[in-house]
Parts: sequence; structure tokens; C-alpha cells
Amino acid sequence: MENTKKKWLPWIYCLPAFVLIGAIVLFPILYTGYISFTNMNLYHWQDYTFIGMDNYIRALGKVNSGFLSALATTLLWTIVNMILDVGIAYILAVGLNTEGLRARRIYKTLLVFPWAMPAYVSILVWRVGMFNTEFGLLNKIVTALGFDKVDFLSRNVPAFLSCMVLNLWMSLPYMVVMIDGGLSSIDKSMYESAVLDGASSWQKSFYITIPSLKKIMAPIVIMTTFTMFKQFDILYLLTMQKGAVSGSTLQTIITYAHQNAFVSNNYGLSSAVSMVIFVIIILFSLWTNTAAVPERKGK
Amino acid sequence: MNQTIKKKLHLLLLNLFFSCICLLSLVPILYVLLLSISSGGGALLTGSFGSLTLENYRKIIVEEPFLKWLLNSVILSVGTMLLAMGTSVSASYAFSRFHFRGKNKAMHLLLLLNAFPQILSMFAIFRLFRLMNLLDSHMGLIFIYAGSMCIFGIWNLKGYFDSIPIEIEEAAKIDGSGNLQLILKIIMPLARPAIIVTGVMILIFVWNEYLFATTFMLREESYTLSGGLYQLQANDYSRSWPLFSAAAILVSVPILIIFFCIQKHMVSGLTAGGVKG
Repeated sequence: MENTKKKWLPWIYCLPAFVLIGAIVLFPILYTGYISFTNMNLYHWQDYTFIGMDNYIRALGKVNSGFLSALATTLLWTIVNMILDVGIAYILAVGLNTEGLRARRIYKTLLVFPWAMPAYVSILVWRVGMFNTEFGLLNKIVTALGFDKVDFLSRNVPAFLSCMVLNLWMSLPYMVVMIDGGLSSIDKSMYESAVLDGASSWQKSFYITIPSLKKIMAPIVIMTTFTMFKQFDILYLLTMQKGAVSGSTLQTIITYAHQNAFVSNNYGLSSAVSMVIFVIIILFSLWTNTAAVPERKGK
Repeated sequence: MNQTIKKKLHLLLLNLFFSCICLLSLVPILYVLLLSISSGGGALLTGSFGSLTLENYRKIIVEEPFLKWLLNSVILSVGTMLLAMGTSVSASYAFSRFHFRGKNKAMHLLLLLNAFPQILSMFAIFRLFRLMNLLDSHMGLIFIYAGSMCIFGIWNLKGYFDSIPIEIEEAAKIDGSGNLQLILKIIMPLARPAIIVTGVMILIFVWNEYLFATTFMLREESYTLSGGLYQLQANDYSRSWPLFSAAAILVSVPILIIFFCIQKHMVSGLTAGGVKG
């Protein structure tokens, strides 16, 4: 009796959470998988039929379906943003930890503002306050310097770069704070003995700081990679929101799936794309599991 | 002597560098602040800001259903926080303290589910909720938000619980405390930074969410602040951009205050004891 109770106890503790997650997260994913095999759209809301793999063939098979270019954009977006995010944050965090920098606390507080601002507010503020051709601050600067106005969001490459700058502005504070926390947990005596051995500051970074940070930062970096991969709001609000379509045709796979579902109302195709995205995420997380286990430290 | 001058110069440059960075990162926020207290939309076209005024703030509070939206936001974020924290504290306690079959698999499955962008299953949830009559209700949105934040809560709290020595509990167990008492009286106070940070993160998430809030709420008066603000700019932002700025500031201020209140817990609360903040 006691034993069976013990066996079930953990599951009883988990039950409320599992019911909630099952209903809100797991079931909709399965249902999306189900829809992906049907021709459900605005005209076939109730009387949809099964069409097998057609949606998948349409999304993956045709080169001009837009999915593959969206996938390429997403991968490029994730890689470039991650490299810049971690790289710049590392430089800033190391700079903040320089000995004798008294105003450190003030800088840290000010730098955190973009993180604390609601994301969609930041994005809309940047769209109108920064990038806009009429009111945008950037264009005011550009024209003040005597150049022609630049439409940052109407063509793909400038739009990509604009989104990237905004994304970095929003995500850098978090990374800086985390790396800063990681730096403070490194044993200071290692540096002291390195100095005695005559190590340069580059050598200190490469042989002490970066290897020590790796362990602490691995879960954070992996989580952030997922966030970058999933990024939807920036591109959507900057370039394709209803009434504010900017003209660029840039799509990531998430915006592509969203457009298919809520603009062209092709739910079947959109669901198929969503399932493909899910498979990509599974593959990626299997890979990170072997590369760096995202198990929390501190045990 | 040369060495100290070099060091001072180095620090001066560093200070200059960080001042510039801070200024640059604050420019968009300051610009909005300035716009929100400038008079009239005409300021945008001429480039001058006109006289300073709080008219925009008055308009947004009086003429838009601002207070109604505020109330909705508070109900939703507090409701979500309670539901998500309640479920994830007990689950993460089980994950941290019990050994049972499938534990690691379940943790990884949760991580995987969390990686799936919820926007993609929005349509499925919409169909489901329509069937269950949960559209246009606070309860429905609270379920959605709590379900998606629960995984984050479990992972974040479990990591922190792991770093609490189990001996403390054993002592309490000998004194005859049950598991539930244990969680409430011993684990929760010890895990305070993680509990606070996780709770606030959930709160902020709900406060800032606009896509589900506008898709699942069908009437304007049931919008949240962020949903209302989103709708405000989607409809006619070119006319009401200073108005929008004022609203943006009003929406952000509570979050900024909460955020800076818990900032000292942030690192230790989010990195689960792996980092000493």
C-alpha cells in the first residue's frame, strides 16, 4: 500500500501541470498534425476531406512555394543573430567587469531598459520612431547629413538588417546580464596564477574566461537560439502587419505559416508547414542534446 | 607612472564607450517619451514638437477604454500567474525531489514542446476553444497563457530546487511535516529568488502578449492593455501616433517598475543556482 502510493505520488504532483500542458500545448500540436492531412480552408470549414500528403508535397516539393526560401532566411537569421548577440554581449560584459570601472552599476541599469520594455511596444516604437520614412529619427539624421531618404523596410536586404538591429537591441541586455553573472562566478584565483605565469589578456580570455563560461552559458545559449529561431513579432510588425505592409517579401518559416493560416486561410497547408517546422525543432534539439546537454547545473 | 596614466586613459575610453552605448540604447525610448508629451499630430510633419502637454495622456485615459483594458490586463496576468505557478511549483518539486521512471524523458519532452512556437498551433486552439465555448472569455486566455508558461516555470524552478540541499527537508520530515507543508514552509521561502523571478516573468509575458489577446477576444472592451494598444495603432496610428506614444509609455511603466524591483534576483533566479549573481 505504502509502496504503490509512493509510486504514484510524483505523478499526482505533476498531474495539474500535465493536464494543462496536455490540453493547451500538446493536443493543439497533434490536432495541427491532423489538419495538415486535410484540405481545411475557409470554404471547407466543416466538410473538409483527407488529401493525404498533398500539403506537404506543396510546401516542400515546389521550389517556388516560398517555404524553402523562408527556411533559408530563418537559418541565416538565427545564425547571424546568435553570433552577433553572444559576441557583442561578451565584449560588453567583459568591458563592464573591468577593474576600476566605478559607474558599472549605472551602465548596467541603463542597458537593461530595452529588455524591460514590452517587446511589441519596442517594435512599434522602432517602426514609426526610427525606421519610418516620414517621422523616423534615422531618416531625420540621414536627411540632415544631406543624403536621400532611405526606406529601410521596403526591400529585403535593408529590411533584414533593420530587423536584425532591432532584434539585437532587444536581446542583447539579457545576454549581457547572463554573461555578466557567469563572469562573476569564475574563480578569481585562476586569473591571479595566470598573471604570475605571464599570460596576456587575450590568453586569459581564451584559456580561462571562455572555457569557464561555456558550461554555465550552454543552456542559456540554446534557449536563446530557440527564441531567435521562433522570432515572429519583429518581422511581422515591422513589415507585414495589416495596414502597414512595407513591401519587402522577406519571410521566415514562422511568418510563412502564419500568413498561410490567417491571411490566405489555407489551414491545411499552414498546418503542414507547422509540422515540418516542428520536425526541424526536434532534430535541432536532438543535436543540441548530444552536443551540450541542456540539463540545468547546480546539482 | 606611465602605467597609471595608461590605465586611467583606458578607463576613460571605456567610460566614454559605455556612455555612448547607453545613450544609443535609450534613444528610441527617450524619443517616444518626448513625443508623448508633445502637442498634436502636426508635430510629426513639421518636425517640431510644439509645446509640452499631458493632453495625450488625458485623452488615452479618458477617451479610450483604457481603465477597462487595465483591469483586463490585471485579471489576466494575476490569474495566469496563480494558475501557472500553482501547477509548476508542485510539478517541479516532484521533478526535483522524487525519482521515478520516465522523469528525464518527461523533462526533455517538455523542453521540446516549449520549443514549438505557439503561434503555429493558434488555429488549432482557436477551433478547439470555439467548440468548447471558451472564446472571448478571460478563463480561456488564462488557460492558454498558463499552459504555455507552465513549462518555463517547471524548468526554471526545478533547477533552483535542485540546488537546495535535501538535508533541510529531511530534518523537517522527521519533525512530521507532510510534503505539501514542506513545499509551502521550507522550499518556497528558500527558493524565493526563483519563485519571484518566475512569477514576474509570467506576469510580464501576459502583460505584453497581444496576438492571442486580440485573436481570442472578440469585443474591444474585453481587450487587454497590449491588445488595445495594438488595435489602436493597427487602426489609425498615423493620426494618433502621439496618442500611441502616450499609451506605450503608460503600458510600459508598470512593467519597468516591477522589472527593476526584482532586478537583483534576476540572474540567480533565471540561472538556477548555476550562477552566483
